[in-house]
Amino acid sequence: MLIFFGMSLVTDPISQIRLVPDVSQQTIQNIVDRKHLDDPVIVQYGFWLKDVFTNQFGTTMLGDKPIWPDLSRAMWQTAQLVLVAEFIAVAIAIVLGVLAAKKQYSFFDYATTTISFFGFSVPIFWFALILQWLTVSLFLATGFRLAYTFGLSSPDPANWFIDRLQHMILPVTALAYVSIAQYSRYMRSSMLDVLHSDYVRTAKAKGLSDRTVTMKHALRNALIPLVTVVALNVGALLGGVVITETIFAWPGMGKLFITALARAELYTLMAWMLVAGVIIIVFNLLADILYAALDPRIRYE
Amino acid sequence: MTQAALKLSDLTVEFDTVDGVVHAVDGVSYEVYPGEVLAVVGESGSGKSVTYLAVMGLLPKPAGRVTKGEVWFEGENLVGLTDKEMEHIRGNRMAMVFQDPMTSLNPVFTVGYQLAEALQTHNPDMSDEAAKDRAVYLLSAVGVPEPETRFDQYPHEYSGGMRQRAMIAMAMANEPALLIADEPTTALDVTIQAQVIEVMKTAQRETNAATILITHDLGLVAELADRVVVMYGGKVVETGTIDEIFHSPRHPYTLGLMMSLPRLTVNLTRLRPIPGQPPSLINRPPGCAFHPRCGMSAGREICRQEVPTLASTNGGGHHSACHFFTEVARELEMQAADLGIQAEGGVLDDVG
Repeated sequence: MLIFFGMSLVTDPISQIRLVPDVSQQTIQNIVDRKHLDDPVIVQYGFWLKDVFTNQFGTTMLGDKPIWPDLSRAMWQTAQLVLVAEFIAVAIAIVLGVLAAKKQYSFFDYATTTISFFGFSVPIFWFALILQWLTVSLFLATGFRLAYTFGLSSPDPANWFIDRLQHMILPVTALAYVSIAQYSRYMRSSMLDVLHSDYVRTAKAKGLSDRTVTMKHALRNALIPLVTVVALNVGALLGGVVITETIFAWPGMGKLFITALARAELYTLMAWMLVAGVIIIVFNLLADILYAALDPRIRYE
Repeated sequence: MTQAALKLSDLTVEFDTVDGVVHAVDGVSYEVYPGEVLAVVGESGSGKSVTYLAVMGLLPKPAGRVTKGEVWFEGENLVGLTDKEMEHIRGNRMAMVFQDPMTSLNPVFTVGYQLAEALQTHNPDMSDEAAKDRAVYLLSAVGVPEPETRFDQYPHEYSGGMRQRAMIAMAMANEPALLIADEPTTALDVTIQAQVIEVMKTAQRETNAATILITHDLGLVAELADRVVVMYGGKVVETGTIDEIFHSPRHPYTLGLMMSLPRLTVNLTRLRPIPGQPPSLINRPPGCAFHPRCGMSAGREICRQEVPTLASTNGGGHHSACHFFTEVARELEMQAADLGIQAEGGVLDDVG
């Protein structure tokens, strides 16, 4: 609601169209009438709310295009990207974190630390551009096409799956790298905590092998804090995806957002915010459920 | 005499820290026999716990290491065994109960699971049902009520005393030849302590294991132990039977411990602590580590220069590492008189 008011106040939704000489006064008046733009903001908000529930988020300001088909398609494209990237990131981060903790202060530990600090400090758009440059250089030097640098798919791919994969490699790498940097640090420190805990000593005193102690007794406890971090990171990721998708021209939610923002498409932006909010809440809920599954102390409280 | 269950010989453990090398355990030698309870007493940092982390091969790596000496257990020197070899001994022939039961059980697994795990690790052929039966039996043996229900509960559903019982059950699980209890009652409140002591006695009777009781609670020692090893600054300063240690201590540190105990028969307005601080284990005082706190060392060069060795005080098993142990009896009489306690011929009448 705040966003709605703010947006309504600072933008004139039809300013763009006003500047185009071909557009008749009648057309503009039609838009104003259709979207109730002459009514007070609070009434406009009421109409928008009604559209959300009865008309699948309604239609865009200018073209009167339905919003939901575009938004849902964009959500699906982004979901592919983000879920694959996160899945890879979590898997790699757990492995790196556990190994770094087991071999604290070893060369491997310092190497992962360096790589993660790099991931923390480098802006994602720079890293994305470097990836593109590397891929292009590789192609120019050897003629080998490892990946495509932008878009979702080629016009007429021989193999749909491989083509999609080649398009995904770079954006997924860019997104995953930043996440790996963050998660592996959390994993390392939570694993270190757990490895020095009394119950891990108890497990060793029982004569369990080092492997069983680490993979069973320690890992399950160390994963609990990571769940929070990953779930809370989803919000940040939706922000990060805006940049990544723009660079790789990936037709997902991020790109939709930027395009809508450039056109001051109030209703599209509102729908986007609402959906993003729901996604964040859903992931928080998922985190809570996962928590209960991992930690019996939560279940009964 | 029967074969010792555990024989420490010149065991030396060092830790690397940022401040320097900590000499946590320094040339410790003694034996424990099957069926006896040996109490290892000393203040924090005296090396009593570290000795047994070294015995179990659980020293924190890579900071801690055994630099010298031998640990003989069931005909084998445990020093230098690989982790893999130690895994067969740990929790099987030799088991340990830790200090804090609140944090010593894994919160994400049921107590029953953790018990069964201890059993099945060392008996790979044991079926799940057999392991459960044995675990339920163990829980009932240590006095956990409704063991069938408790088997499926998580540690957070247990009280502190109950958790320590579960820990003891876990240690007893494979009928070890050596049971090590590291301050088993320190984290518990007094009424629970008494119950846990009973359970320890039961565990000891059931398994007839040689039991090591690491503690600074002299009341617990009086209750459970047959023999006592007193440690100070990483060294053994006195060993003897419980009677010898409590009634006729022959080392000024032990004497200080006994005199610091509050007594029901004596009306004191304040406690009598041993003056001074425990020694730094990085830069130990030269000579006898206790000399800066010892009234008897005043003006004696030998206490500052020469490290005393353990020597028999009675031609038998009572040993003291004091250059002047013969004088401790007189010192004891003086301090006892000061307190108004009966002491004749260097023997205390009462025990706190």
